[in-house]
Amino acid sequence: MTSHVKIRLASERVNHSVPTNRELPRFYTPGEVVTGMEDFMRGHGTYASDDCLKASVAGVMQKVNKLICVRPLKNRYVGEIGDVVVGRVLEVQQRRWKVETNSRLDSVLQLSSVNLPGGELRRRSAEDEQMMRKHLQEGDLISAEVQSVFSDGSLSLHTRSLKYGKLSQGILMKVFPSLIKRRKNHFHNLPCGISVIIGNNGYIWISPPEQNNLVEEEKDEIVNVEVQCISRSDRETMARVRNCIAALVASKMLLDDTSIMFAYEESLKYDNVKELLDPEAMLDVAFLTQHRINNVLEE
Amino acid sequence: MWTTKTFLTKTKRGNIIKIVREHYLRDDLLCGSAACNTCPHKDDEFVLDGKPESICSLYSYPHYLILDTNVVLHQIDVLEEDALSNVIILQTVLEEVKHQNTAIYQRLLEIIANKKRKFYSFVNEHHKDTYIERNPGEKQNDRNDRAIRKAAAWYETHLSINSVVGQFPKIVLLTDDENNRKIAQEEGIVCCSIKDYVENVTGFIGLLDKLSKNVAPEACSKDALYPAHLTPAQIHEGIRGGKLHQGTFRASRDNFLEGTAVINGFEKPILLQGHSGINRAVDGDSIAVEIFPEEEWRRPMDIVLEDKADDDPGDQLEEEAVLLKNTKPVEKGDDEITPTGRVVGIIRRKWRQYCGILMKSKFPGATRHLFVPAEKRIPRVRIETRQSDVLASQRILVALDSWPRNSRYPLGHFVRALGKIGDKNAENEVILLEHDVPHARFSEAVLACLPPNDWTIPEEEIKKRVDLRSECICSVDPPGCTDIDDALHAKALPGNTEDGLKRYEVGVHIADVTHFVRPNTALDKEAANRSTTVYLVGRRIDMVPDLLSSNLCSLRGGEERLAFSCVWEVDENANILHTKFHKSVIKSAAAMTYEEAQIAIDDKSRNDAIVSSLRILNALAKKLNRKRLDNGALSLSSPEIRFQIDSETHDPVEVQAKKILDTNSMVEEFMLLANISVAQRLAAEFPQCALLRRHPAPPPANFHTFLKAAKQQGFDLDVSTNKAFSKSLDAAVIPGRPFFNTLLRIMATRCMQQAQYFSSGSKTVEEYYHYGLACPIYTHFTSPIRRYADVIVHRLLAASIGCDVTHATLLDTKVANSVCDNLNYRHRQAQYAGRASVTMNTHILFNKRVEVELASVLAVKRNAVHVLIPKYGLEGPLYLPSDKFTYNEEEHIQTCGDIVLKTFDELTVRLSLDSSNLQHRKLVFELVKPHIPGFSVDIMEVEDSKAETEKDQKKRKEETPAKSSKKSKKK
Amino acid sequence: MSSDFNVKRPGLELLSSQGLRLDGRRPNELRRIQCKLGVFTQPDGSAYIEQGNTKVLAAVYGPHQAAKSKSLQDSVVINCQYSMATFSTGERKKRPRGGRKSEAISMQLTQAITTAIKKELYPRSQIDVYLEVLQADGGAYSASVNAATLALIDAGIPMKAYLCSCTASIAWKDGKPEPLVDVSHVEESAGGSVLTVSSLPSINSVAWVDMSQRLHADYLSVVMKRAMQGCRDIEVILDKAVREHLGESWTMSDDAVAI
Repeated sequence: MTSHVKIRLASERVNHSVPTNRELPRFYTPGEVVTGMEDFMRGHGTYASDDCLKASVAGVMQKVNKLICVRPLKNRYVGEIGDVVVGRVLEVQQRRWKVETNSRLDSVLQLSSVNLPGGELRRRSAEDEQMMRKHLQEGDLISAEVQSVFSDGSLSLHTRSLKYGKLSQGILMKVFPSLIKRRKNHFHNLPCGISVIIGNNGYIWISPPEQNNLVEEEKDEIVNVEVQCISRSDRETMARVRNCIAALVASKMLLDDTSIMFAYEESLKYDNVKELLDPEAMLDVAFLTQHRINNVLEE
Repeated sequence: MWTTKTFLTKTKRGNIIKIVREHYLRDDLLCGSAACNTCPHKDDEFVLDGKPESICSLYSYPHYLILDTNVVLHQIDVLEEDALSNVIILQTVLEEVKHQNTAIYQRLLEIIANKKRKFYSFVNEHHKDTYIERNPGEKQNDRNDRAIRKAAAWYETHLSINSVVGQFPKIVLLTDDENNRKIAQEEGIVCCSIKDYVENVTGFIGLLDKLSKNVAPEACSKDALYPAHLTPAQIHEGIRGGKLHQGTFRASRDNFLEGTAVINGFEKPILLQGHSGINRAVDGDSIAVEIFPEEEWRRPMDIVLEDKADDDPGDQLEEEAVLLKNTKPVEKGDDEITPTGRVVGIIRRKWRQYCGILMKSKFPGATRHLFVPAEKRIPRVRIETRQSDVLASQRILVALDSWPRNSRYPLGHFVRALGKIGDKNAENEVILLEHDVPHARFSEAVLACLPPNDWTIPEEEIKKRVDLRSECICSVDPPGCTDIDDALHAKALPGNTEDGLKRYEVGVHIADVTHFVRPNTALDKEAANRSTTVYLVGRRIDMVPDLLSSNLCSLRGGEERLAFSCVWEVDENANILHTKFHKSVIKSAAAMTYEEAQIAIDDKSRNDAIVSSLRILNALAKKLNRKRLDNGALSLSSPEIRFQIDSETHDPVEVQAKKILDTNSMVEEFMLLANISVAQRLAAEFPQCALLRRHPAPPPANFHTFLKAAKQQGFDLDVSTNKAFSKSLDAAVIPGRPFFNTLLRIMATRCMQQAQYFSSGSKTVEEYYHYGLACPIYTHFTSPIRRYADVIVHRLLAASIGCDVTHATLLDTKVANSVCDNLNYRHRQAQYAGRASVTMNTHILFNKRVEVELASVLAVKRNAVHVLIPKYGLEGPLYLPSDKFTYNEEEHIQTCGDIVLKTFDELTVRLSLDSSNLQHRKLVFELVKPHIPGFSVDIMEVEDSKAETEKDQKKRKEETPAKSSKKSKKK
Repeated sequence: MSSDFNVKRPGLELLSSQGLRLDGRRPNELRRIQCKLGVFTQPDGSAYIEQGNTKVLAAVYGPHQAAKSKSLQDSVVINCQYSMATFSTGERKKRPRGGRKSEAISMQLTQAITTAIKKELYPRSQIDVYLEVLQADGGAYSASVNAATLALIDAGIPMKAYLCSCTASIAWKDGKPEPLVDVSHVEESAGGSVLTVSSLPSINSVAWVDMSQRLHADYLSVVMKRAMQGCRDIEVILDKAVREHLGESWTMSDDAVAI
């Protein structure tokens, strides 16, 4: 297969920004004085110096009562309890896994926070500890929920729900966490038949339609879901979804099931999935999506 | 404020590197014209007049001139005349000039800096409207021409903006490039050649004389006398391919058809002979040489050959074959066969301005004349002038312009007249110019740096210094000395050393010149440039203005002066126990001459403080001297003479060798000691930038002839080390011939290398050695009034003892090195100038007389013996005809019958002056004794000629009324 | 033979008689600076800067878990890697990384950046800063610092203030010293001492100073002043670029604020 590689001159690059009619907020940049010190609490993205509160990142100021924060355009994922994350197992340790979740410290998945075969309330035995690697090994992808946040900011995860756990077949996309829109539900089965997990940490999992649901539950052992054969059309749809997300990301648009769905629908006018890699096509998709979102909002 | 357009300039060099440079174009550059309505000039930024007056009859309307590069390069003398003004110098031109000739670039900058001249330099290369990019395939030259035209056109339209038609100045482009002129005319730019312009200038006589002669292109072969030079590209190719060699052309002093080129990789200089061999190279030029195959090598002509032509012989060359016939090698293996070649191209001309005299054309009213330079190595020059009647009797300065192929002589133009031939001032001027001695009056900026005339030492300055006014300090100098820069004191200290020796305190006090000459002032720069005071006979060219050199910095008797002191504690054997340096205030008790001091010391009846101080100094000096000689210091000798000058005419009336007294060496010893102490201190404090003085050991080859001559007299001299040399010199005494030893030492001096200034960072510690003084380290500290080296040393020492701050350039090794280069150069030139002045005065002296004197033979040459007259310290050649004398090369002797002349022989000679050549008057030595019939002159004859010259002298006195009392003497 | 006594002071030729530098700038003018944030999607933050013909790319990864060996309990670890593309200089370089010079510059960058970051916020974390010089025309170190600042801001890493770097050297005009700001390669190689200052202009502190060779103490203050002024000028330019970038990229995501 020959692939066409296009390299464009800097001057010919497409500007991906999609115009909106919203006014720009007031921006603060590092070192800039946000406010005087009196009566305010120092939040994220600020620091105190010379009796002033100064911004330490570039972004907009948020004020919650007396707490003042400056939120940057993008940064590493800062976890909150209840967030859905997608992560990758880095290390198997004593009674816990180290999981990379795009936050500034590696997250922890305690052995005690996973569902083991044979009922939830089973005692963890020494045998289980030895079997840990059978359950999840280095490089495995999982979906999980943030159980708690440690004092140093690192996250403790749990997978004690059927919807969490190991991910086997699909595509992982990494986007900036700030582009993920917080919703109640982050697990979506899109109308096109594709399931998507939009992790709050900016990792997005795109997987084929689940054919034999809840297989794992009935199995005794936690073994890899058998690698299934996935049809070409499903794979193309997955690729299309992925490209749509990429288009939205390029235009810095927020991601949720709606925007992804809209984008998917708009992209259908491009027959070939590959065409969606064209910057013009990406911008077109993003633009049309934004247009539809605006319409929805107006309604 | 600036346009942000980036332009890329690509250049290639060496192994092809692409260089990308930014080039910012601006919109804030001013046009400098008072007629401009658009540029935001401030009042002081107008350079060009709003309504410039036209001085050229070709263009009656007001206009500005824009000059092409070739005009600046060739016509700088015209530009320097105070005639053309309201001129725009484009940056394109400025850069091209800088690239091609830095000397002219400097001169151009000076003109621009002179506000009165109204020369405006316009930065067209960075102006957004006048910058142009080089088109593909366009030559750099063409591009520059285009840039010049573009700027001219821009000025024209720029000045017309918001101006009433006809009310603004026009632009006239001056260029000597015909092609450029043609295109400019097509583009509607008014232009003309500099020649046409200057010829139509009214009101400036003599401007036309300064016009440089047009250069015929090298390729033009019409009436060519000389072979064409290769183009720079061909030369480059040839040198890279090893076919050609680069060297510096040195013309022979004696033979105008011969020269040499020193080339790397060849032991001997390459011989260049004949008109076509030399091919228009002028002494000093950097040339490309082609070397002949070995079978065509020749030996140098050992004859003197002068360009005899009395008048311009027209454009033809002499039959060279006749002149060169005797240089074909007679036999193989001839020692003197030298690699021979010919000049095929000039890499860079090193022309300067030359002094000389005009040789007037024989045709009355002619404007083309020949100019004969004073320097014999320079060929005659063809110049054009309408003032030949006036100039014929003058010393004049001429600049070389070009040497086209069809011209027998190079072309030049008159620069200025220096004065009447024979006039002392004019002759001095020639000496100064030829030796590149800066001697203009001190500028206003320099004089502004001086303290007021009635300056006295302020109280607070005294407080900062050690007060030595109560010490009995005195100075000892030659008679008539007004720049007294050193004074001494000595006294016994109470108590003895541990060894039971007596202790003395000895102080050397040097004028504190650096208190007045502050770094980086105009005064400092001027002094740095002059580097040394130059002493001509009867004239002194000061390094610092008179107020300092003869007054405030001169440690005169009875006056309070600032000084830099070096004070030692020594024991009675003159061993240094302790040294300290400090700034001080002194009051010299007496300023004595050597003679007075000597008399005072010898006068047993005197016992005052000054005398006892002098006696201590004298005693210590003798011990110091002994120690130094024991260390291997060479006590060398060179004949020094002193003129007694007629107080009215300033002509020398008597000449005699200088006398050396005990007190001379007394002062000298302590100065050496001070210099050494300071040098040690500086080298320790400033290992990278201390200014020191070294004297390298002479290479053994220098001694070759000298040793041979000494051997003939029966002495085997050991020159292996300075100590051995010194010892064997001491031993070489012939009883009954007291002068022999002195003669030996005089000749030993000639074998020495030049001592030189250097910065400590540039040499290893071993190389610091001073051979002549036999001390490992040395510098100059004791004469800051007349040597700039001492000024630097003072500053360094002051910084090292914390009583003055350092400044950046003082500590920069690179700067230190370049200062040293200049010091060495100026020092050498000053010596040469001094000698030239002595020679000139000798000539004046002997113009009036003929003398018979005893002489010693210094050296034996092929056609002469070199003789020295001890009484006067004069020396010169005594020519021996080859038909009478035979020269023995092996033994270096000349024989005639049974008379043998060899080195150190004593003869009697007759001295007289040969004035047949006005520029090169020379002393003639004729043999009197031993008598050789048909060659020696008789004493009788001598008497006759003496009478004759006396008559002559009377006549001369009537002719030239004394007119030199203008410059009152300072000595 | 004549000698024009012109002490060839280093940098004597750097200013024309009209007071312009070789490339047409005035002594106090910076080169043209163009910069862009967020040029890559993969790293957490990235930036590209052009200072005249000096072009630098910066990429920031992190903060992320520090390797165990480097990990600090109370502060973040900065890891800098500076490299010059083989085609960045007039003569092609043999290899892009390594070499003592690059190592040294990496170290210096680490030190300068460490002073600017609020490093106490991220214990046991690490921030990687990768700098690639695409074209070097003088002041590559300064441009690298400026690029790194932009990339760090793009990555949302808290900093005390803008960290700006600027070079200055000295030239002579009419015998008086005249400091030159933002020295180009030609001026660098003309021999004068080049002072490189990295500073946080808005809080008036200096993060790093380097001098290429000896400079007399008399001139230090003027040169330093010029370099500091250069830093301030650069800060203005960087700030403008950051705000522009925020304005372009903020459009979509300010919804999130509503939550």
